[in-house]
Amino acid sequence: MSQCEFLEESIGRWLDGELPPAESEAVRRHVASCADCGAVCQRLEKIQLTLGTLLAAEAARLEFAPFWLEVQHRIEAKRPWHVEPIEAVQSLFSVPRLAWLVPAAIILVLGFLSLAKWPTGVEVNNYASVESIDAHGRNVALLREDETKTTIIWLYQDPEGEDENVEETAKSGPAF
Amino acid sequence: MSKKLRNPVLLFNLFFLAVTGWLHAADKTPQSVKVTVVSILAGSTGDGFDPKLKGLEQQLRPLKHHSYRSLKDETQTIPWQGNKTFEIPGGRSLTITTQEFQNNRIGLKIHLTQGEKPLIDTTVKIANKGNIILGGPAHEGGSLVLSISAAAQ
Repeated sequence: MSQCEFLEESIGRWLDGELPPAESEAVRRHVASCADCGAVCQRLEKIQLTLGTLLAAEAARLEFAPFWLEVQHRIEAKRPWHVEPIEAVQSLFSVPRLAWLVPAAIILVLGFLSLAKWPTGVEVNNYASVESIDAHGRNVALLREDETKTTIIWLYQDPEGEDENVEETAKSGPAF
Repeated sequence: MSKKLRNPVLLFNLFFLAVTGWLHAADKTPQSVKVTVVSILAGSTGDGFDPKLKGLEQQLRPLKHHSYRSLKDETQTIPWQGNKTFEIPGGRSLTITTQEFQNNRIGLKIHLTQGEKPLIDTTVKIANKGNIILGGPAHEGGSLVLSISAAAQ
């Protein structure tokens, strides 16, 4: 892009007084020394002048009162009850908020898993799964106690006896 | 959404996922299992409940014995795939082999013997920090009850 092309874009803003001082001075010097850009500048000044004159002439015929009245009416008008909740819900699903939902969801899941894992007042499933039992010919009972979620393996006495008090204990076997 | 906002959120999410992933992986590989075996004498006479067994009261009640007395309490740390033997009253011994840790449950192989005579061999999966009750062998006029609990470390 040549200097003329580059500065041509700035001439309009320069005329409107929107450029910073250093840039403004550069444009002014270029316009003074470059015939093409000087012509562009003159054209823009002419347009500005024409528009300014036209607006000044038409402004008297324009009725601003109804416009401002409508603006005031809109400001003061009560919004329907459902607008605010809908906007609140829409803002919840805006992209930035959804992005924060990812760690929030992870925290919730981890929290839930932690509660299930550690006894923090929430009941823990203490049931054991018994995959195999070999009681070597003895009778065995498997009990799952619901209240405490406990698994009990009960080995019944060997008829030959394994303890000196076998007769006494046989009587006192668990009734479950 | 501006890049200014998007980048910190993205970075935070990636960091958070990395940290939780690391914690989850760490949770999955405990080094050993702390196994506690409580030997209890469940009697058919009397009406006493050993205060030391307070934590097990609810679990022992279904056995419908009249009295419960703590005989021994032993804790050992067993490495994965390793085994330890617990001395049980009445000349018995209980060998526990740790097998696997999955879904917060600990796989244990339990082998109870009386002298050379095997009484029971069982393979169970118990909840981490949970327990199982093994009972039945006659002892001192009552029944021997074992509470076997395990906690991954």
